[in-house]
Amino acid sequence: MLLDFSRMGWPLQAYLLFVAVLAAVFLLGPIVFIVALSFGSSQWLVFPPPNWTTHWYQQLWVEPGWLEATWNSLKIAFIVSGLSVMLGFFTAMALVRGSFRGKSILRAFFLTPMVMPVVVLAVALYALFVRMGLTGTLLGFVLSHLVIALPFSIIAISNSLESFDFALEDAARICGASEWTVRWRVTIPSIRLGLGAAALFSFLVSWDDVVVAIFMSTPGAETLPVRIWAALRQDLSPVIAAASTLLIGITLFFMLLSALLGARTPKSSAL
Amino acid sequence: MQKPHDAFLSLRDLRKTYGATVAIEHVSLDIRQGEFMTFLGPSGSGKSTTLYITAGFEDPTQGLVLLNQKNLHGVAPSKRNIGMVFQRYTLFPHLSVAENIAFPLRVRKWSEEKIREKTAKMLKLIHLDGFGGRKPAELSGGQQQRIAIARALAYDPPILLMDEPLSALDKKLREELQTELRRIHRETGVTVLYVTHDQEEALRLSDRIAVFNKGKIEQVGTGVELYEHPSTRFVASFIGNSNFLPVEVSRQASGEFVLTLPDGAKVSTGKPDHDLAQGRAAMLMVRPDRMRLEPISTNEPKGPSVAVKIRDRSYLGDTIQYTVVTSWDQELNVRMNASHGQVTLWNCGDTASVAWEASCGMAYQDK
Repeated sequence: MLLDFSRMGWPLQAYLLFVAVLAAVFLLGPIVFIVALSFGSSQWLVFPPPNWTTHWYQQLWVEPGWLEATWNSLKIAFIVSGLSVMLGFFTAMALVRGSFRGKSILRAFFLTPMVMPVVVLAVALYALFVRMGLTGTLLGFVLSHLVIALPFSIIAISNSLESFDFALEDAARICGASEWTVRWRVTIPSIRLGLGAAALFSFLVSWDDVVVAIFMSTPGAETLPVRIWAALRQDLSPVIAAASTLLIGITLFFMLLSALLGARTPKSSAL
Repeated sequence: MQKPHDAFLSLRDLRKTYGATVAIEHVSLDIRQGEFMTFLGPSGSGKSTTLYITAGFEDPTQGLVLLNQKNLHGVAPSKRNIGMVFQRYTLFPHLSVAENIAFPLRVRKWSEEKIREKTAKMLKLIHLDGFGGRKPAELSGGQQQRIAIARALAYDPPILLMDEPLSALDKKLREELQTELRRIHRETGVTVLYVTHDQEEALRLSDRIAVFNKGKIEQVGTGVELYEHPSTRFVASFIGNSNFLPVEVSRQASGEFVLTLPDGAKVSTGKPDHDLAQGRAAMLMVRPDRMRLEPISTNEPKGPSVAVKIRDRSYLGDTIQYTVVTSWDQELNVRMNASHGQVTLWNCGDTASVAWEASCGMAYQDK
């Protein structure tokens, strides 16, 4: 092969290695930096840290708002994830299986939140929700995050439905299965990887979001990213670094969990 | 031919249209209990549509499906208690082999113990004992289709429908599974409705074959009947090899039909099963293996014969195949037995006479 690494000769190999390392540092550097600072003893975020401490994590417990924001974020992300998978499944079924006029237009419509600038979406949602009294409420957060999470679900589930052979459903029907049993015991298990991906993406979209959440937040009702952003505007404290590390940690935890679950089901039709 | 009470599965004047397209019409067929019935025909001939109507996945526009004298109209596929094996592999990928076979039994709420017993019995039937714990993706296509058969038979359905189940397999595996299918049919005695476009497969497997063409059944019969006495030109050309000679039809005083070949030779035909119209063109069909090459003799020929020139010869071990040309420049295939090694080999360019028994010639007239 033309692009076979082992045949490139050492100057090109060394160059590629250098670029790869540079890219990795560029991507991971900020994360390493913030994690290191969260354990550093300097109040002024001196790098490299003069000493190590877990003081700032204790502060997370003590200072008001941090735990509450974390809990809010988790709660919202879980509910959004569940609803997004459920609605995404029904929508994807209609888009993949249905044959009706304007199907492709409807499909494009469902994906608009992905291409629309988030801030525009956030302003629009805010304008609507503030009138309905939904800002600062769990329902408000969930509904607004559902808007930005649903396209990811629809894409992930549609893809797995497209590679699902619907003859399997006929096979189950002739075996005597009711429509409910067919869906529950054949269709859903067959596309479980797609459903898992949809759940993970939806969770992360909600967990990660700061733009929409800023508009939805009211004093006392905010998510973890909003709390970080708000704290940052007041003063630059290592507690923010600790909170950020917590955010990264939880994200990593769910990604690893889904990778492990995915690895347990080999040879199935992937996404 | 059959008494009505013989019919176990009865298709009565089925018709199915999709908009202006007629998929099948006038499809009527009685299938006996325990029979292996094959629907044979080219793609788009309506054989699969008829099968899917029997399964209940399609509703007929008109007509009835009766199973054991019970009308199946409006009965959902899941309530018909019919077994089916599909063209594509349809094992549930997330379930083990044993759980796939157990699926219809779990749906039927069998007890755990009965399910275990039956699953083991089915695995034994298809000679795959010990494969129960595997996942479908770990098995070959042939093994997957055998498990699909086991799943379809696990609940002892009165009929088993099969929609070209072997078409995705290579030739050797296909023949292996055909032998398996015959054995399974023999051992279980289940009534089978089998769809294929492969005439050899149909002849090998079936008790009777229904030949489909353009949405209609052309002929129903055993393999022998279809090969020896095809009732239409389509059946004659679809099953086995055939030569079609253009002839002019005239009638003698005795009532016997006389066919005149383009070179003026008059030949008689076997008992014409169907009416021929006098004075009109027709086609005389003779199988290549019913023709023989003889030296041209001056004596009056005993049976029908045509003077030809040898164009090509292929030696195939058990048979020798000749391509010969008639005086009106039509190519004919002649296949002669070579088992005794005493057959005179004709060379290219030789002139000879192609002869056959009058009873082997079947005449067809376009309507």
